[in-house]
Amino acid sequence: MIKFLSSVKLAITLIIVIVVVSILGTLIPQQRSPSEYADRYGGLAPLLMGLRFTDLYHSAWYLVLLSLLALNTVVCTLTRLGPKLRKTFRPRLEAEAKALLAFKDSGSLKMNLGLKETTTVVRKALAGRRYKAREQREDVRIIIFGRKKVLGWFGSDIVHLGLLVILAGASISSLTGFRAFLKLEKGKAQTVPRAGFEVRLDRFDTEYYPDGQNVKDWKSSLTVIEGGREVRTEVVEVNRPLAHKDFVLYQNSYVQETKSPLLVFEVLDPVLPEAANKILLRPGQSSAAGKTGLILSLQRFEPDFIRDESGLISSRSEELNNPAAQVTLSRAGENLVSGWVFARFPEFSMAHGSQTSGPTIVFRDIRPGISPDFSIIEAAQDKGAALIWAGCGLLMAGLCLAFYWPTREIRFLLEGKKDRTDVTAAGLASKSREALSSEFAGLFKELKDHA
Amino acid sequence: MISEITLFKVALLLYACALVIYLVFQFRRKEKLALAGWVTALLGLLFHTAALIHRTVASGHAPFTNMYESLSFLAWACLAAFLVIDRVFKIPRAGFLFLIVVLAFMLLANSPLMPKEITPLVPALQSYWLWLHVSITLLGEAFFAVAFITSLMYLAAASREKKGAKPAGLPAEKLDQISYRCVAVGFPLFTLGGLVLGMVWAYKAWGTYWSWDPKEVWSLITWFVFALYLHTRLVMGWKGKRSAIIALIGFLLALFTYFGVNYLLTGLHSYA
Repeated sequence: MIKFLSSVKLAITLIIVIVVVSILGTLIPQQRSPSEYADRYGGLAPLLMGLRFTDLYHSAWYLVLLSLLALNTVVCTLTRLGPKLRKTFRPRLEAEAKALLAFKDSGSLKMNLGLKETTTVVRKALAGRRYKAREQREDVRIIIFGRKKVLGWFGSDIVHLGLLVILAGASISSLTGFRAFLKLEKGKAQTVPRAGFEVRLDRFDTEYYPDGQNVKDWKSSLTVIEGGREVRTEVVEVNRPLAHKDFVLYQNSYVQETKSPLLVFEVLDPVLPEAANKILLRPGQSSAAGKTGLILSLQRFEPDFIRDESGLISSRSEELNNPAAQVTLSRAGENLVSGWVFARFPEFSMAHGSQTSGPTIVFRDIRPGISPDFSIIEAAQDKGAALIWAGCGLLMAGLCLAFYWPTREIRFLLEGKKDRTDVTAAGLASKSREALSSEFAGLFKELKDHA
Repeated sequence: MISEITLFKVALLLYACALVIYLVFQFRRKEKLALAGWVTALLGLLFHTAALIHRTVASGHAPFTNMYESLSFLAWACLAAFLVIDRVFKIPRAGFLFLIVVLAFMLLANSPLMPKEITPLVPALQSYWLWLHVSITLLGEAFFAVAFITSLMYLAAASREKKGAKPAGLPAEKLDQISYRCVAVGFPLFTLGGLVLGMVWAYKAWGTYWSWDPKEVWSLITWFVFALYLHTRLVMGWKGKRSAIIALIGFLLALFTYFGVNYLLTGLHSYA
């Protein structure tokens, strides 16, 4: 079982399966309504929903796949970690001249120094290159292992640890994470569920770019109230949340109530120029146009007017993209003009009267702000987040170590002969061998100079 | 004052010149030609850099907030990665293939399909994380692009060597190593930019570091495939053909993550 779980082949199989399944998950729209799936996939819909392909990333079997990969990573890493630690802390210093010379970067030379002096020279050469040396004596033989950047050996283990920490964080997030959306009204406070404090919206501003069309930012000035005391006031905007205790408050969106705005009209009557004054109306209201005896009534308002093929009128959205008003102008119960007028297109009017030279209605302005704007603040408690960042740190540190901190080892065998010493050496590195080669050559040259 | 479009077009033209020089180099293998190609491409890169700076100054935000901008930046990053890798490993024969890729990105950016007007930045994108997240991710993908080209060259060289023909350029084994080195640069960059910084930014802007958005899933898929490349290579000792094929697939997936997801799938990453 351990052998099965520790095999890289299992990891590779799992990765391939996860990749294929994940691709399917992006091709099938996730978390939609059953009717939408029925429309889209017909008879296949029940099967896809039954297999949870419609909410794949939260399905039990996808989680099982991820957990298996995690388990595989744990077992794989642990089974390799023991020997690695032994190699690091209790290496068996063994060396035979023949074996050493089989390495690519190797060589031998005879030093006209005693064994002890040679050892000093070798250790000095290693220390000069920041190698840490270990030594073993066997009468006339001395074995020296010089090593540096040993942490590089553990790069992949640190990467795996980082990934596991990330997965642990993600599990905590999904098990204990909590989020709530607060619809905050200006000047009023609301309790943040489960948080033990309240927030009050002091100001809510929508900033526009100079073009007046595109939103630049939404800013909510929030005051945190704890036990009746104001604790702090901060401006929350998109990309700048407020963190208080273990809750984070985000600017999520806003609601602008355009359902019942105050609309401004003008009635232009060539016969009665004094009619041209402003008339303010809400949907369903009527008002006299000065003392002209004309009465303007507003039946309906659509913020984003659209008429479909069948002539049905509605709003495409709640945004004020094409505000339109259905109005009637009458005098003494007789309708003079009736139809739709548009704020953006004053020259284009679907309101027509019986006489072409009669009065016309101009839709001048919309005054919002009568009804309050709401700022939608998302309050999130995510206890896994800290682990996620720790895991990410380990992941990146591990990757840097694994790729760019290659462990190097230089092994020496010193054999004392009467008045000289035979030196055999070899350099080992799992990565960036060119760098090792040049370092080894330099070191070897230094020893030769002593010889 | 020279306009951004002019600078961009000069860069495009210089890249085309470099492509022609590298094409000639395929047939007449003179050191000087390779150098001329490299210098011409570098000159193009300088104009391209000026174009990107020009746009940054004019718009006041990072030059990768729509498809035109990010394609232009990806082309820039790819060429920069190639120029560096070529200095280190001497792979002028990759120049021709590589400039085809760069020119393809440039022409696509230049096409009328990509709106080029500077548009105001929506609130969600107004963050310094935009700089970090996008630039590092695209830089990582640029190194995957170099690995893609050298893997293609490896496959060609390996099949030639199998037939016993004399190698036309670098030996297959060397190309295999260069591919690996490119992945070794690209993988940490992609992990940092695409996944880690993406999560950090998502947490800041959306309140959740991961939401299984198609772009996130595809980034993860790309990451998994390169992880597969590394594991098969470093643990199981795969090399050569099989490694090259995984690197090819990996880059194509990275390209789909960057490009295809926007047009074929909908999600949170609806900006660029």
